[in-house]
Amino acid sequence: MKPQKATSGQLRQHNRQLLLRAVQSGLADNRAALSQVTGLAKPTVSDLIGELLDEGLLIETGHGKSAEGGGKRPRLLEFVPDARQVIGVSVSHSAIRGILTNLNGQISAQHYSLPNGSLLNDLICVVNGLVAQLDAPLLCIGVGVPGKEELPQTLETKLAEHFDVPVYIGNNTELAAVAQFAFGAASEADSLVTVLVNRGVEVGYVLGGSAYHSGGDIGELRLDNGLPLEALLSWSYIYERACQLLEECPHSHLSLDDLSYLTIQHAALNGDACALTLQGEIAAHLGHIFAWIIALLKPEHISLAGNITDMGTALLAQAIEEAKRHFPTQRIQQVAFSLATASTLSATGAVAQALQQELGLNG
Amino acid sequence: MTTHIGIITNNQYGVFQQNVIAGAQAVAARYGYQVLVDSRDEADINSPTTLDLEALGGVLVIANPVPDDFIQSIHQSGKPVSLVSHQIVGIPGVVSNNSEGIAKLVQHLVQECGRRQFVFINGNMAQKDGVERQHVFRQELMRYNLPDAYFLHGDFEPEIAIQSLQAFLAEAPPFDAVVAADYLMARAALGVLAEYGYAVPADVSVVGFGDGVEAAEAALTTVAADVVELGKRSIRQLIGQIQGLSIVGTTVLSVDLIIRETSMNPSRERGV
Repeated sequence: MKPQKATSGQLRQHNRQLLLRAVQSGLADNRAALSQVTGLAKPTVSDLIGELLDEGLLIETGHGKSAEGGGKRPRLLEFVPDARQVIGVSVSHSAIRGILTNLNGQISAQHYSLPNGSLLNDLICVVNGLVAQLDAPLLCIGVGVPGKEELPQTLETKLAEHFDVPVYIGNNTELAAVAQFAFGAASEADSLVTVLVNRGVEVGYVLGGSAYHSGGDIGELRLDNGLPLEALLSWSYIYERACQLLEECPHSHLSLDDLSYLTIQHAALNGDACALTLQGEIAAHLGHIFAWIIALLKPEHISLAGNITDMGTALLAQAIEEAKRHFPTQRIQQVAFSLATASTLSATGAVAQALQQELGLNG
Repeated sequence: MTTHIGIITNNQYGVFQQNVIAGAQAVAARYGYQVLVDSRDEADINSPTTLDLEALGGVLVIANPVPDDFIQSIHQSGKPVSLVSHQIVGIPGVVSNNSEGIAKLVQHLVQECGRRQFVFINGNMAQKDGVERQHVFRQELMRYNLPDAYFLHGDFEPEIAIQSLQAFLAEAPPFDAVVAADYLMARAALGVLAEYGYAVPADVSVVGFGDGVEAAEAALTTVAADVVELGKRSIRQLIGQIQGLSIVGTTVLSVDLIIRETSMNPSRERGV
């Protein structure tokens, strides 16, 4: 099949993004420098910069120094992060969480609601909550969902029609990884995998800033005991396992009345045998996952996300040790690990992805 | 077109309420709305409102000055309603991020000030903010594996906080940090601690939730849940509804840690 040529509109959009990104990242701050770093002709640069100035995405802030050979002093350009706002929403089985940010991903308000029937209607009501708080025109909307392939294809179109802005939909776990790449602790890594453990077990892979769309649900993978990961790491399984262990060790400080990842972590820190057993079993499963990921994808960074992060760094450290049982220690040690604890992670990733699509910005 | 918005509150002259109302009035004026305030007697929350609800475009309710079922009846009549620092299922509202705020305060005290033995001055436990801030504080104690804290009655009233702290200090228990559910109670605690001979922050760190000029004047470490901003954001939510936006759920405002002089132990700060 012959590759299709880009239309003039696509080319113009690409060049606009190139220029905007160069100014935002500090690569160039005037028209001549932009022409140099992007390779675009000076008239093209002037034309597109004029457009970006008219739209308020850039401003002129004064004059810089003349070039060594003399000549006119260049007019300096600056990116305006507050010129537009972006809404990012993540949908989970328990809540719909939205954030309102500027073009640098800085959050000014959050809005959350419980799912209440129609996904489209729920999304509209949450986005409306943030539309009421807009301080600048809305540029676009990003939405993160669990298991994107199950969505009705019309959702994106209907939302875009309703709000009259572009809408971009992605998988929550991939977006969680995008968020960390764009705005988070892993921004230095070239490749990053996020393991999200909530109701299921999902993996999101980001390579060079873009979500790699072949990740997703690994919850059905089975371990040696024949049980799938999503069962072994589900809260209901952990609760059941805690019930069994509490029968065996009745003097445990754990209580089923307030059992949570946090109470297990707390009891484990205080040497509770039951909590330590639970922590060890969860770490063993996570260690398996980490080893598989390192063997298959060779990422620079792995982050663990979801409610399970309430079990803290002790769980992560133990899971890394467990991974070494399945894969050479040296290979495990080459990977950086972190906990991604923010509840707005996927919504932030939805913002990052939308910004990348719409303006070519990488956070 | 209706040009009036109603605000129902208790004690409109309280610092918190005054600031919320000021923020709400500033934004309402920009949209051409005039604000009418019904300031309730806390001892008689069932008395009828002085507002002509029929004539209003919408109603803002600050905390819990009237029974929830009364607010629900206004909402069910089709009148736009927004709640400030309160939550009723099905009615939109605006709150400060209590979880983020308390977590930031405790993290600062533990990781940067080296504190471990905490006193927590509760807010009004009939209000969402009071319950949530205490709940999150307990969770953070667990996260950092800290010993049990002392919990004092405060009710979001500086006078009550002073009495509770005086009674507590009379027994001279060991502690090295005071976290108050609001900054006005934390400011009041500073006076009591000085009276009992505690040096702040050398002996005890003191922090509070929320921020205002009173906190800055007292050099108090806080999380800046800007109350005027809370008023502005909540009236924008209400006006959005009046203009036809269908909103469900709660808007949560971010909070930033503001480190001033009452938390950092100078010797620790120097790395001694």
